[in-house]
Amino acid sequence: MHAPVVVRNLRKIFYDEGRGEVKAVDSVSFECNEGEVFGLLGANGAGKTTTLRMLSTILTPTSGTATIMGHDVVSSAQGVRKNLGFYSATTALYPRLTTRETIDFFARINQYPADLVEQRVEYLIDRFGLAKYADARIEKLSSGMKQKVSVARTIAHNPSILIFDEPTVGLDVLNALDVQETISELRSEGKTIIFSTHIMSEAQRLCDRIAIIHGGHILACDTLAGLRDTTQQHYLEDIFVLYVKAGQETV
Amino acid sequence: MNFKDIRVLYWREIRSALRDRTIVTNSILLPILLYPTIMWLVYTGITFVSGQNEELKSRIMLKEIPAAHEILKKEFEGDKSIVLVHSPDPAADLRNATLDAIVEFVPPKSIQATDNDFATRISYDESRDASNRARSRAGQKISRYRENYLERQALKLGLTRAQFQNFSIDERDVSTGREVSAFVIVLPIFFIIMLAVGGMHPAIDSTAGERENSTWETVMTTATSRANVLVAKYLYVATMSFTAGFLNLFAMIFCMGTLLAPLFGNNSSLRIPIQSSPVVLIGAVLLALFVAAGMMILASFARNYKEGQSMISPFYIALIVPVMFLQTPGLEFTPRIALIPVANVMMMIRDAFQGVYHWRSIGITLAVETACVVLALRVAMLVIQHEDFMMGSYSGGFGKFVKERWATKRHKDHKNPL
Repeated sequence: MHAPVVVRNLRKIFYDEGRGEVKAVDSVSFECNEGEVFGLLGANGAGKTTTLRMLSTILTPTSGTATIMGHDVVSSAQGVRKNLGFYSATTALYPRLTTRETIDFFARINQYPADLVEQRVEYLIDRFGLAKYADARIEKLSSGMKQKVSVARTIAHNPSILIFDEPTVGLDVLNALDVQETISELRSEGKTIIFSTHIMSEAQRLCDRIAIIHGGHILACDTLAGLRDTTQQHYLEDIFVLYVKAGQETV
Repeated sequence: MNFKDIRVLYWREIRSALRDRTIVTNSILLPILLYPTIMWLVYTGITFVSGQNEELKSRIMLKEIPAAHEILKKEFEGDKSIVLVHSPDPAADLRNATLDAIVEFVPPKSIQATDNDFATRISYDESRDASNRARSRAGQKISRYRENYLERQALKLGLTRAQFQNFSIDERDVSTGREVSAFVIVLPIFFIIMLAVGGMHPAIDSTAGERENSTWETVMTTATSRANVLVAKYLYVATMSFTAGFLNLFAMIFCMGTLLAPLFGNNSSLRIPIQSSPVVLIGAVLLALFVAAGMMILASFARNYKEGQSMISPFYIALIVPVMFLQTPGLEFTPRIALIPVANVMMMIRDAFQGVYHWRSIGITLAVETACVVLALRVAMLVIQHEDFMMGSYSGGFGKFVKERWATKRHKDHKNPL
């Protein structure tokens, strides 16, 4: 049986007018198991977002393969997107739709059974405590509420795989904790979650396994305990710095 | 292509648009309210100006009036819009604008003239409105006095009015109502402007606006094809463009029928023939599809609303230029003109309003416009295959994009000739 997410030698090269060819992601490989939170830990520009954008079919890989629930990200992009919920700071909501309309739209367009959409919308409104704001336009909501609606729209079609790309960026502590709690709940429901962050405490708290990514390469991939054993360091921050420095020396 | 997805995406776009103040104003309210507002303003202005003119009194000096024509002087005195003044130097006063006109009796030019015959001269200043008005008022008064005077003289000679007026002019208008209507020519011009205005904001909103709001990436991660997303957006922009044009036409027809026609004695030329509807409708649909395609291709290169506006502006102007063709007097809708996009639809609609149908030219027009729409969509499909364009990371407009990709392709072909 295949893992829900399989990534093999994924590469992405951009062409930049000033810098020429830029290897944003270079031979990245990993697998995510069912019901686990897989963390991609890296500094800004490490290649986290590019990797996740390739997995969500927004970008096409230069080479390598990736499959989501058995669907190839290049040849079966729609199949991938049907099984995937993608959340990032760059995936905003339509400001002029209401909360209810937003969830309804994303459920329908992501192929959730039409006769069950209404029921699903009401369930999500109830689950995220959005009843009071169900008919308010998104543009009128507070940042915390918008973030809740964003998570609701990400799981509107009940996908098996969820990608959260730095979901707590720009949120205050309480809202960030809310997101973390939601991710924990989703894991307990059996969802496979890929979670990217540059915040060590978040990775430490949420991730079952952590991949340290730097300069487009995955430098290490293990459980927190495994990483501690390998490096003989206790704090994730120290582990991360150790790998990044070793990676830079190798380069 | 999945029509169910297109429908969901399309209604999402429409719903958002109908909640946007700029789009509602430009695509719905402006087309409806523009003409009634313009007409109301024009008529209020005309009424105000003519009312002002009526109240202004003309300062006229009567110079050397013979005793035999004292009645004329009394008529001037009895007119409330005229003030008779006396000046020691009327010519200077006329130049200084303290006097509006001088009426004087001069000896008749004819050598057969009798003692009672007369001639008058009105001196005025053409450059001043008040002076022109005074000339007109004095002229009307003298003409009326002259007619009565001649009639009296004729009666004295034993001539009846019929015998006296043995030369008359009888006017008869042989043109059809449609031909005389200049208003019908104006309709298609405003129609194309409104189609463009109606499509402009939706085109920017659905492309550059989505990038600016970061919703572009959200829709790109949904489980539908990119082609479906683009088709839905395209249909949405075309709908808004068509709606603006249609509402505008409706408002114009309504204004002409209810406001203008009564003012012109219920002139039927101010009403659009119902038989022209199919041709007008087809023209409007084709034009809306063309406008939507052109505007979306350009606006989708923009990364924010402002950039979108500046990228669309040249296309907007290019749309208006062919409309100038209609201003040429006597221009006919020939097959050659039918080859010019936009102008051909304008001519087709203009003729249809006048009840004229050049079927060969109409056929060519439909073929040309359809080809333009297909070509524009083909370009759009080629453009969306480029990742940097889709992601909004490309910096530059359509022209630069085409030039760069063309150069890259040539470079590759040169390296790998096989």
